[in-house]
Amino acid sequence: MPCFQSCRHSEDRSDKPATYIEVIDFRGREINLDKPATRIICLIESALSGIYMLKAGDNVIGVPSEIYNGPTAEQYALLDDRIRDKKLPSPGNWDFVSIENIVALQPDLVIIWASQTESIASIESHGIPVYAVFLKSFTDIYKEIKDFGLLTGTSQRADSLIKYTEDEIIKLESAPQSSVVKKSSVYFIWPQGLLETAGTTSTVNDLIELAGAKNCCPIPQEHAVINKENLLDWNPDIIVMWFNALQNPDDIIASTDLKYLNAVRNMQVYELPSAFLCDMWTLKFAYTTKLLAKWCYPSAYADLNTDEEKRKMLFELYGEKGGNLLK
Amino acid sequence: MKKRIISISIYVLPLPLILASLFIGPSQSATPEAIFRAIFYDTGNVSLIHSVLLDVRLPRILLTFLVGGSLAISGCSFQAIFRNPLTDSYILGLSSGAAFGAALALAYSFLPVQLSAFLFGLLAVGLSYYMARKNKNVSIVSLILAGIIVSGIFTALLTIVQFFSDPFRLQSIVHWTMGNLHNASWEKLESSVIPITAGVFILFIFRWRLNVLALGDDEARTVGINPERDQLIVLIAATLASSSAVAAAGIIGLYGLIVPHIVRMLNGPDNRQSIPLNFLFGGAFLLIIDDISRTIAGFELPIGVFTMLIGAPFFIFLMKKTNIGWNS
Amino acid sequence: MEQLSKAISVTGLSFAYSGPVILKDVDIEIESGKLTFILGQNGSGKSTFLKILAGLLHFQKGSIKISGKETTKLSFSERSRMTGFLNQSHKAVFPFSVGDVVLTGRAGFINYIPKKIDIEAAGQAMEKAGILHLKNRNYAELSGGEQQLVMIARLLAQNPKILLLDEPTTHLDFTNQSHLIKLLKNLVQEGLTIIAVIHDPNLAFLFGDDFLFVKDKKVIRSDESSTAWDIDFLKTIYHGNIQSIPYNGRALLVPS
Repeated sequence: MPCFQSCRHSEDRSDKPATYIEVIDFRGREINLDKPATRIICLIESALSGIYMLKAGDNVIGVPSEIYNGPTAEQYALLDDRIRDKKLPSPGNWDFVSIENIVALQPDLVIIWASQTESIASIESHGIPVYAVFLKSFTDIYKEIKDFGLLTGTSQRADSLIKYTEDEIIKLESAPQSSVVKKSSVYFIWPQGLLETAGTTSTVNDLIELAGAKNCCPIPQEHAVINKENLLDWNPDIIVMWFNALQNPDDIIASTDLKYLNAVRNMQVYELPSAFLCDMWTLKFAYTTKLLAKWCYPSAYADLNTDEEKRKMLFELYGEKGGNLLK
Repeated sequence: MKKRIISISIYVLPLPLILASLFIGPSQSATPEAIFRAIFYDTGNVSLIHSVLLDVRLPRILLTFLVGGSLAISGCSFQAIFRNPLTDSYILGLSSGAAFGAALALAYSFLPVQLSAFLFGLLAVGLSYYMARKNKNVSIVSLILAGIIVSGIFTALLTIVQFFSDPFRLQSIVHWTMGNLHNASWEKLESSVIPITAGVFILFIFRWRLNVLALGDDEARTVGINPERDQLIVLIAATLASSSAVAAAGIIGLYGLIVPHIVRMLNGPDNRQSIPLNFLFGGAFLLIIDDISRTIAGFELPIGVFTMLIGAPFFIFLMKKTNIGWNS
Repeated sequence: MEQLSKAISVTGLSFAYSGPVILKDVDIEIESGKLTFILGQNGSGKSTFLKILAGLLHFQKGSIKISGKETTKLSFSERSRMTGFLNQSHKAVFPFSVGDVVLTGRAGFINYIPKKIDIEAAGQAMEKAGILHLKNRNYAELSGGEQQLVMIARLLAQNPKILLLDEPTTHLDFTNQSHLIKLLKNLVQEGLTIIAVIHDPNLAFLFGDDFLFVKDKKVIRSDESSTAWDIDFLKTIYHGNIQSIPYNGRALLVPS
C-alpha cells in the first residue's frame, strides 16, 4: 500500500497522535486517510473553490484544465499565484483525465466527479484514494465542504463557513416575502441553449425555492432539455440565464417566438453576472439566491444592497484574498 | 401499378401530414380540441395557441421537412456520383467538418454557429476532393479514402476543441452532434431555406444525369458527359444542401444513407423519380419520426435517437421483404 | 475525298500509364465502313489502343484524327456522336432496369431530361440488339452475355459513326456470338465503322474486313505482299506452334 511510507513519515515528524480520517463520499464509498491530505488533485472547479475557502489551497497540486482557460480563469489567477504563473499541473477535467499525469504527481487524494467512473476505477487501481462528488442540492454542498474540512484537517473552518452561509439564508428567509400572495415562477436557462434548463433535482431548484419563487420546470432531472411548447405552457414570470457568453437578456426579449411569455412582455429577463460569483455548486449560492430574490420581489428586498452583499460574501468565504477578487 | 400508387402517395402525403403535425405536441394547452375552439369560436387562450402553432410548431415542422428532404436527396446524389450505395455525408468528412465548425464557433464565438458549420462542411468536402484528385482524375476509391481521412482529422480537431473549452459550452456540442430539432425557429428556418433550396434545385436539374454518372466514368465520358465536371457540380449542390441541414439540426446519423435505399426499394433506382421522391419522402418520414418523438416523450431527446430506433427497423423490414438486387 | 474514307488516322502516337511505354510512335489509318479487328497477344496493348481511340486515356505524344478532326479539339458531346465505346465488362452497382441503362446512351443528345424521341430511340436500339424482352429486367441480375448485349444496345442508342468494341464476344455463348457477329455485319452494311478488339483470330478471319495487330509497342498490318492469315506472318505475332487450315479463301488457326 502506498501510504505505508508516508504513515511512518508522519509519525516521525508529528508529535500529535496520528489522526485517522474517515469520510463517505457521494458514491457511498468510504475514504480513509491516516492524516489530512497534503497532495490533493482536484478535477472539479467548484470543489477547488471550496478548498480555497477552507484555506487549504496550498495543499492542491493538480487542478482542472478549465481553471486556465474557462470563464473563471481570471479569478483563480488572483486566488493562487501558482495558477497565475501557470505552474499548477492540470492532469484532466470533467471529461478527460490523464491517469499517467495523476499517478506521476503522487497525490494522496483525488477529487473528481462521480460520473467519471472509468477514470475513478483506474485511479483507485493505483491505490490512490478518490473522493467522488455529485451535487443535486444545497445540502450536498454543505456535506461536501464538511467532508473537505475533514480530509484537509480544516474542520473548524468548514463549520464556520457553513454557519455563515446558513445564517445568510435564514436572514433571507425572514425577509417579508410572505406578503407576496402568488409565488413568482422562474425559468432557468443554461448557457448551452434556450431550451436547456434545470429540473427539480438540482441546486438551481434549491436556489429558486430559497429565493421564495417556484421553478417552472417540473421534470425531475438535474439538467433537462425541453420543448418550446412547454415553455409557452409554463409561461414564467421571470427568466434567469446563467452567465452566458453567447446571449444576453436582450436577445431573449427580442426573440419573436417568445413574445407571448409574461417574462418577455414585462422584460423580466436576467443574467447571472459571473460564472465565478454565481457558481451554484459552492457556498457562493447564498449570493446568487439574494440576487434572484431581489429580481423576483423587488419591493420586498428593496433594502438589499447586492454590491455590498457580494463584498461581504467574498471576504467571508475567501478571507483577505476575497478583496482581490472584487477587482 | 403498385409502384405508381406508392410514388403518387409520396407526392400527395406531405401537405396533409404537415397540417396534421400542427396538432401534435406536448403542450397541455394547445390540444387539438383547444386549437379547434380557438380557430372556430375564438375562445380559450387564443394568443397562447396562436404562439404555439405559428411560433413553435410551424417553423419546426417546416425545418424538419427541409432537413429530412435535403439529407435524403443529397445522400441519394452522393451514392450515385460515387457509385457506392454505402456513401453518405459522413464518408466525405462533411459531417465531421461541420461538427468541428460548430464546436469552434460555440467555443470561441468568432462566427455564427450555422455559418461556421456550413463553411467547415464545405472545406472538408473540398479537402477530400482535392486530396483524391490526381492527374486530373478523381477515382472513386481515393475520394472515399480521402473522405475518411479528412473525417478523422476533423474528429481529432473537434476533440481538441472539446478538451480546451469549458463544460458549459461543451454540452451543447454533444447535443449538436446527436442532432436536434427542438431549437427550430423562424430564424433558423430563414438561414437554411435558401442554401437548401438552391442545392435541392440543382440536384433536381441533374436528376437524370445521375443515372449516367452512376454507370461509371468511362460509360459517361463515351456518351458525351464530362463526368468530373458533373460530379463536381452535384457534389457542391449536395454538400450545400446537407451541410445546411447539419448546420440547422445537427448530425442526424445515417438518415442520408437509409432514405435513398428505402426509396429505391419502393420505387426502383431511376434517379429521375428518386430525386424528387427522396426529397418528399425524406422530409415526410423525418416529420413522422419527429411527430412520434413529440408525442411519446415529455422532454426532448436528440432526433438522431428516433431516426435510428424507428427508421432502422423500417429499413430492415423493407430489406427483408423486397428483392432489390444487391446480391449480384 | 481521300481523307473522308479514313475513319481514324493515328500519327506518331506514344502512350504510357505511369510506368513503361505501352505504345510508341504508332502510325496507322483505319478505313471507314469496314469491320476491323484488332488482334494480338495478351498484354500487348490492344485494349489500351482502343481506349485511346475512344478518348478514355490521355496520350502523351502524337495525334489522332477522327473523320479528319483532331480529337483533342472535340467537345464531349461532339465526340460522343463520332465514337462509341463498349467496355470489356461493366459492373453495375445500382439495380437499374435495362431500359434505363440503354437510355443513358442518349446522353450526348439530352440536355438534362430525356424526351420522348430519346425514349423511342432507346426502344429501337433494344429491338435492333434483340433485347427488347429484357427492357424491364434488372440489369445487374442479367448474365454476362445479356449485359454485353444491353451495352451494345446502349451504343446503338448513342448512334455514333464509329463503334469501338473491346472484346465484344468474350462473355457470349456460341449462339449469341454468331448473333452478335451478324448484328455487327449488318451495322457495317448500314454504313457504320466498327473497330473491335478480339481474342479469337478465327472469328476475326471468318468475318472481318481488315485486321490490325498490336506487337512490340506498334500497331501494324500485314504488309502488301502477304495476307493477314499468312502463317509466316502470324508466327511473328503469336509465338508458339500454330498451323493454318485453309477455309473459304482465308484460313483457320489451330495449335499444332
